[in-house]
Amino acid sequence: MSAAPATPLLELVGIRAGYGTIDVLHGVDLRVMPGTVYALLGPNGAGKTTTLGVTSGQIQPHAGSVLLDGHEVNGVSPDRLARAGVCLIPEGRGIFPNLTVAENLRMSTYAGVSYKQVQERAFAQFPRLQERRNQLAGTLSGGEQQMLAMSRALSTDPAILMLDELSMGLAPIIVEELYEQVASLAEAGLSILIVEQFAQAVLGVANEAAIMLHGRIQRTGPPEEIAEELTAAYLGMS
Amino acid sequence: MILGVRLSVAIAAALGTLAVVIIAVLTWKGAPVTSQTFLVTTYIGLFLGALWAMYATGLVVVYTTTGVFNFAQGAIGVFAAFLYWELHVNRGWHSILALFVVVGLFAPALGVVLDIVIMRRLRTASLVVQLMVTVAIMVLLLSVVGDIWEADTPRRVPYLFGINNGIDLGPSQLPWHRLIVFVVAIAIAVSMRLLLRRTRIGTAMRAVVDNRELAALNGARPNVVSSTSWALGSMMGALGGILIAPELGLDPATLNNVVIIAFAAAAFGALRNLPMAVVGAMLIGLLRAHTGAWLDFGSDFRFAHLSIAPLLLLFVVIALPQARLEVGRLAHHLRRHERYTKWWEGLIGCGVVILLAAAFSGGWLDFGVWDPGSWGSRELNSANEAMALALIGLSLVPLIGWAGQINFAPLAFAGFGAFVYLKLAGDTGNGYWILVVGLLCAPLGALVALPAARLRGLYLALMTMAFAQAMSLIFFPHPWVMPIIGTGRQFPHIELFGVTFDDRRGFFLLMVSIFAIFVYALVLLRRSRYGRRWMAINDSQAAAATLGVPVVWTKVVVYAVSASMAGIAGVFWATVSGNVDSVQGFDLLIGFNVVLLVAAAGVSIPMAGIFLIFIPLFKGFGLRLEDAGNVDYLVTLLDIMTTYGPGLMVLGMVFNPRGAIFEMGRGFSPILPWRGDARAEIAAENAQKREPEIGELGLERPFTPEEVIAIDRRLEILDEVVPKEGYGTARS
Repeated sequence: MSAAPATPLLELVGIRAGYGTIDVLHGVDLRVMPGTVYALLGPNGAGKTTTLGVTSGQIQPHAGSVLLDGHEVNGVSPDRLARAGVCLIPEGRGIFPNLTVAENLRMSTYAGVSYKQVQERAFAQFPRLQERRNQLAGTLSGGEQQMLAMSRALSTDPAILMLDELSMGLAPIIVEELYEQVASLAEAGLSILIVEQFAQAVLGVANEAAIMLHGRIQRTGPPEEIAEELTAAYLGMS
Repeated sequence: MILGVRLSVAIAAALGTLAVVIIAVLTWKGAPVTSQTFLVTTYIGLFLGALWAMYATGLVVVYTTTGVFNFAQGAIGVFAAFLYWELHVNRGWHSILALFVVVGLFAPALGVVLDIVIMRRLRTASLVVQLMVTVAIMVLLLSVVGDIWEADTPRRVPYLFGINNGIDLGPSQLPWHRLIVFVVAIAIAVSMRLLLRRTRIGTAMRAVVDNRELAALNGARPNVVSSTSWALGSMMGALGGILIAPELGLDPATLNNVVIIAFAAAAFGALRNLPMAVVGAMLIGLLRAHTGAWLDFGSDFRFAHLSIAPLLLLFVVIALPQARLEVGRLAHHLRRHERYTKWWEGLIGCGVVILLAAAFSGGWLDFGVWDPGSWGSRELNSANEAMALALIGLSLVPLIGWAGQINFAPLAFAGFGAFVYLKLAGDTGNGYWILVVGLLCAPLGALVALPAARLRGLYLALMTMAFAQAMSLIFFPHPWVMPIIGTGRQFPHIELFGVTFDDRRGFFLLMVSIFAIFVYALVLLRRSRYGRRWMAINDSQAAAATLGVPVVWTKVVVYAVSASMAGIAGVFWATVSGNVDSVQGFDLLIGFNVVLLVAAAGVSIPMAGIFLIFIPLFKGFGLRLEDAGNVDYLVTLLDIMTTYGPGLMVLGMVFNPRGAIFEMGRGFSPILPWRGDARAEIAAENAQKREPEIGELGLERPFTPEEVIAIDRRLEILDEVVPKEGYGTARS
């Protein structure tokens, strides 16, 4: 819309949303600028996952607007957004457990990258997946499952990547490995919105961070500053 | 699943070997097995297998891609076969055109409509509701077929290209029709396998059942994908129905029963493995053809060769490992309040039931204009039948409604009860033996409960269905079991307290009294420790076990209770039917209807069982009105209600899983003077509806009039400001 060079890739304006009659988000404003990594931090139940649900089209906001590259996308279905390049890796292993690894990768081809290319890229990043390409994804270890989930982000050239609790339930060494991938994606210029409960892993890659509490963004700023406040937020002293 | 497939391979190998051995032995004994007859029998077996494979492929495709096991698959075939007959035979369309219209246009449209209107809403429903809904679709489709194409006209669906054209096989001829069936069935199975494994849409079809939201996040259109699944499944059902109709004849029940064989075949592949399902179908076809040709079971077991499929289904389901069946199927329990029915409420309810029945049947209710008058034998016959079925239905309330143990075999228990009674009481009709019947049926229930103890949901449904079918093919037709069949003798009239209930009205009221006693027993049972345990294992077996509930024993008890109620009811059902035809009288399809009736009544609420009494009352009332004349529309209405009502009500569960009766009860109970709690609950709900959210206290936008009222209430300002029109909108 605006001709200014700094059109945010993703912008939420005054978003109110929730489940049924209960509102979880009470007016969320958020901007992810092109080529930056935005970390959304906060405790359980703050509304982080709901925010991602709104941006991915899974939850329709009651009020406010979702802008992708300046275009309003309220009411657009999640599958259309996905094909347009919005890539959300949901919390808790975004994989299909009853499909094989290869079939999971085939499901990543809706965004326009060919099956062959998806496989090549995914296996180049995570050679372990190639070894297990005909194994049911549900039988992979937790780390391998998260790698498989991440491979959709790595292989489909998304316009914006959203990661929900990437580190949840994984060994620190695997988290580190996964965040290396995130860092290289960020270096390549991909815009990323990361949601995490714990800040340490994100801090290294984020350009901007925000604390979310009770369905509102309480503060935004450089990651280091935000990390300090986060402790206070968790202890209920915000 | 991998283990499951290996196991079914083992079973397949074992049974195949067994078949070969039987045939070899027979040949050796000098039975008329020649290489030529062997060849012909084999080709018939493969052909039958191909037909069943087509049904099984449809089932497996729909199950792997939607998670719904479609009991209506056979009924879709029945409907399609009749529609094909209508277009091709009755209206003279060319067979190819008729085939295209039915299979290519009608069937996929039906599948898509089913998906959009019903199946899509079933995703979060409990398994019981899912199963009931597909059974309801089955029963509704069959009723529609029965209504459109009345049974009195003989109909035949011709073979494609005639029976006499085909390849010469020496001793006999292979008609084009059968060759085409074989080729098409294999082609469908292979292409479905390729579709599911090698294409993106197929992968997406399987992905959607795993995680619908994630599939959408990947960019697949979940609704389009599952509609595709239903369209494909429906097409396969339709094609199977049309191709099998020339062989079996156009009879809805016969054609519908084919689906059991398809279930057995699908169970071979653990319900998900397509190639194994096809192998299973072929194996059943071969076994059936060869046993039918050479094994003579004697007239006592004249249906035994038909029971191969149900026995195999029983065996496979019991043998299959049970893991991973209810993945992601978290039942949504919507019961917010459950209140025990008080003992005196139960008594009042039962009294009302008896009075109502007496009033209806005795013509005490004077409706002025209509003046129905007292029921004659026609009304009483119809009402008695429905009443006996309602009695059988009550036995399912603790089993399905409370313990969540799906059971499609109530008529098998009932038939066993009738058998026991016949053996004990003989021709005397001594009614006191009925109590013993109740006691003796309990062990049968317990016996069924033992394999059921490790089965859940769908597998349990399949097992009980196979059990029912096996009973009505092997046990009941045996002359020792029901010696009165075909002899023209009547089932003896029941004699109790020195009264012989040979008069229909008396018998009706006797059944109503037994019904009331059953209902009251249920009210008390629900309040007992076992009632609570049954509810507990229904909610979560694991949680119940950790609390110290002996899960297996609890299941055994509920099956025993249900079987003994069903057994007693069976005595009445057999008496009503008089010269009972055991095969049809205790048929699986009747069992489906009973289950459906109970589901429509809202299985989980004991007092809702009372609803079952209305079916016989409506039946009798409707017939009475018909006799009285000039109220046609009402007769038609009652007719539709009794034929389609239960099915439609169960479909209603898609939109309201608690069932219509629950809502009716909620509407009705506040009227009762002592139900202050119900009134309070409704008042609270209404208050919540009226109270809008206060929002941001007008900081972001002006207050709306509702918000002003809400704030006043919140602040307990008694004289509420009555807002003028347009108040608070000036700034917006």
